Amino acid sequence: MIGIVVVSHSRALAEAAVGLASEMVAEDKRPVIAVAAGLDATTFGTDAMAVSEALTAADSPDGVLVLLDLGSAVLSAEMALEFVDPSVGDHVRLSSAPLVEGLVAAVVTASTGASLDAVVAEAERGLVGKQDHLGDTPAAEAAAVVEADQSVEVVLGNEHGLHARPAARLVGLVNGFDATVTLTDLDTARGPVDAGSLSMVATLNAQQGHRVRVSASGQQASEALAAIEKLAAENFGDAPATGAAPSGSTAGGPSSVSDSPSGTADRSTAGGSGLDVAIGPAVVLGSEVDLSDYVAEDNELERLNQAVETAAEQLRELRDTTPEHGDIFVAHLALLGDRKILEAVEHAISGGSPAPAAWRDVYDELATTFEGLDDAYQRERAQDVRAVRDRVLRILVGATEETPTDGILVVPELDAATAATLDATRIAGIAVRAAGTTGHGVIVARSRGIPLITGIGEVDVQPGATIAFDARTGSFEVEPDEDQVHATIRERQSEREQAVTEANEPAITRDGKTIDVLVNVGVVQDAVDARGADGSGLVRTEVLFGDRRTAPTVDEQVETFRAIAQALKNRPITIRTWDIGGDKPLPFLPQAKEANPFLGERGLRVFRRRPELLRDQLEAIRRVATETPVHVMFPMVTTADEVAWALDELGPRHGLEVGIMVEVPAAALRVATLAKDLDFVSIGTNDLTQYTTAADRTNTAVASLADGLDPAVLQLIDHVVRNAGVRVAVCGDLASNPQAAVLLAALGVTELSAVGPQVPLVKARLRQADLSQVDTAAVLNARDADQVRGLL
Amino acid sequence: MGVDAFVNWLRDAAGVLHENAAYLTELDSAIGDADHGANMDRGFQAIVAVLDGTSFESADELLKKAGMTLVSKVGGASGPLYGTFFLRFGTALAGVSSINAEAVGKALHAGVEGVLARGKAELGDKTMYDAWAPALEAYDAAVAGGSEVGPALTAAAEAAAKGRDATVPLVARKGRASYLGERSAGHQDPGATSTTLILESAARTLA
Repeated sequence: MIGIVVVSHSRALAEAAVGLASEMVAEDKRPVIAVAAGLDATTFGTDAMAVSEALTAADSPDGVLVLLDLGSAVLSAEMALEFVDPSVGDHVRLSSAPLVEGLVAAVVTASTGASLDAVVAEAERGLVGKQDHLGDTPAAEAAAVVEADQSVEVVLGNEHGLHARPAARLVGLVNGFDATVTLTDLDTARGPVDAGSLSMVATLNAQQGHRVRVSASGQQASEALAAIEKLAAENFGDAPATGAAPSGSTAGGPSSVSDSPSGTADRSTAGGSGLDVAIGPAVVLGSEVDLSDYVAEDNELERLNQAVETAAEQLRELRDTTPEHGDIFVAHLALLGDRKILEAVEHAISGGSPAPAAWRDVYDELATTFEGLDDAYQRERAQDVRAVRDRVLRILVGATEETPTDGILVVPELDAATAATLDATRIAGIAVRAAGTTGHGVIVARSRGIPLITGIGEVDVQPGATIAFDARTGSFEVEPDEDQVHATIRERQSEREQAVTEANEPAITRDGKTIDVLVNVGVVQDAVDARGADGSGLVRTEVLFGDRRTAPTVDEQVETFRAIAQALKNRPITIRTWDIGGDKPLPFLPQAKEANPFLGERGLRVFRRRPELLRDQLEAIRRVATETPVHVMFPMVTTADEVAWALDELGPRHGLEVGIMVEVPAAALRVATLAKDLDFVSIGTNDLTQYTTAADRTNTAVASLADGLDPAVLQLIDHVVRNAGVRVAVCGDLASNPQAAVLLAALGVTELSAVGPQVPLVKARLRQADLSQVDTAAVLNARDADQVRGLL
Repeated sequence: MGVDAFVNWLRDAAGVLHENAAYLTELDSAIGDADHGANMDRGFQAIVAVLDGTSFESADELLKKAGMTLVSKVGGASGPLYGTFFLRFGTALAGVSSINAEAVGKALHAGVEGVLARGKAELGDKTMYDAWAPALEAYDAAVAGGSEVGPALTAAAEAAAKGRDATVPLVARKGRASYLGERSAGHQDPGATSTTLILESAARTLA
């Protein structure tokens, strides 16, 4: 139980407050409460030394909450923190809660054994009851704390908890009833928040598995609660898990978006040319809507309301015309109609702010709130907020509709929502100013076959100007030689058609080397769609089953692996054991929060302490291996001990080929030691690159450093090939790039696993290559990745 | 400059604050809780009691003890504020073999930085910082112009007095006076006043 310290100018006041609060709780349940008040029994004043003694007296491993009256009480308490032992000071919290009300709330909450955070939160809400009673708070906040007539408890079953879209459905439902509904997350003690406000619900940040108390009052309170219970039972409308089904639904949570190009393609909306070259008029999207020409008038509120209504019409139409992305627009609609946000904007307008500035400021603040949340998925919802912000701003200033249908989109950064909602059959291409080829939006666009170039920088492009790019050569041109570009496009088209026609032919280079080109599989459909793959070099099990709430059984895994092998005509498949952690959470294997997850419990490391899930998976793999050629590989291996442990867990190998992923530089350097008892190693170039360059590929500020063609990465690959003593494969992004594939083959890699659409192209390029002519020495000694690209 | 000079300063300041206790309290009664004079007097009398019973080897030990005494005995916000000032002032002198104008300057800066960190006041908030800030500036300028400790402190005290007078029209944004809002304008800030008294005392005693 936490301890409590009361700091006051008056000892009488402090002691009376403690007495009042203590009445609330039986004596044996009370927290320790220490008082530092007055210079003596009758002299007003505070004494930092007395406070530090009280802190020590009330100290508890669970923390200490300090409640104070005013002025010097605050200064003395801050000063006292400098006097106490740092081990005490670290878990002391000075609270701005009102002294009497806060103390009552704190004593009651602390007596339940609640955490320091929870007690602080309750204390800080201490005034709310009084404010509500006296009616001196804004309506929206008052609604959040009104005494509820009745309540129910629900458990959040959906994968990401009450994130934006399920939250939007909840808010929509709640606002349909004549009832005031609040939510309290019983696991974090956050809340209560107004269930009719999306911003409030989202900032509750209630996660999967959390218990949430839903309280309601008003005419239709019981109806509202019943409807909410029903919605909760339906996982708030989130799609049920279907990832393992051979029918190949591709529901993509962030776990699959982050690292699995093949796992995220929404095939219902795929349809880009799949080329790496494009030409068309530029559609330039800036980061900010230009508000400079807006002239404020005396009817700003009316103008805003009209703009919001127009935006709502647009969103309703988008929702109804794009069913596969309808959820995104439902969430946008809910944001748009959020009464709390609207109140804040109206407040700013009545304070004299023009409508666009008021709207922008409130939305920016909300976006910042989202960005500050712990959960990566929630943080990304800031993009939704900005999308709604800009939609209304554009209407206010009379700017044109944002989603281009024709031409080449030029954007500062590509977010996944934009990439997913573009009409891939009409958009000519996307040019991204930021560097980095592994952001979510980039991966989505690529998997939809939309021509794409990244890292064009701050090139000045006028809207409507004809622009062209060729991602293969890295060229981006304004007003290009159109005939030449069209010739290139025709050439690439026929190249692609020919590659697809010849896809089933083996990839034998001109100098007679046969390279196996395989496909990466994140959903069964990847295996079904693959053209010309010599098997699968990477079955991402954490993606296959990543949208499940409970762990798949051994039988379910066997069935899924079997379906993949059959789709690939029983060519060998390489199954990677659960690769979780880092940016890839598994809903059914919760992990403790880590300060540095990419350097934490990832991949194989996760299972050293709790091997059960891995054991099930290995059993499924062994069973499938009796029917069809199967290889197994372990991800994120660093030491020989880990290899020995994994082999021990695997048991008798029978026909299984066994390997490890080489992603950690340490593993690359000592591959000879690690591979002693293995049949192969497979290099994961994405992680090897980010660990070698110490650059997070999802951080646009440094993503350009995480370049797979960095000579340092290539030197490690070369080292692995020379020293492994076993077959070396590559299954990272580098293997999907036809030029890089030739280089990898020239370095001695004999197996490349690529994303599905690239398999025919990689094979075609290898057939044209003479590996003996590749100057590998020059590449390995190159100055940087750009120089490597020049050599390819 | 030895430890005796600092003992003299503290005793002199205690005397001045005692004489001005009623005045300070009167200033505080206009915009605060009418206790500044009594509080400062209680704190500095406690220092005098310490000085009577203990002898100090070094200035830093002396000043740190003075700071801790103020922290415990003043009671109001000026306890932690002046307490921090003397603690930091003393700490800055620790290990300094010859306490000259430069060393005192460093100590003054350290002390005032402590006041700022503790009180989070800004210039113009109608607080003691409105006296401290011009005082530091004047002290630095005097030392840069070749002045010794005594004349530099005199310049500092004069600047503090101007800063103190300039608090009259200000609206308080910190401390108890801030509850009064606009009504705090037209009154001299008690904290800036006691700061000026302490600096004037320093100018008389430290040389």
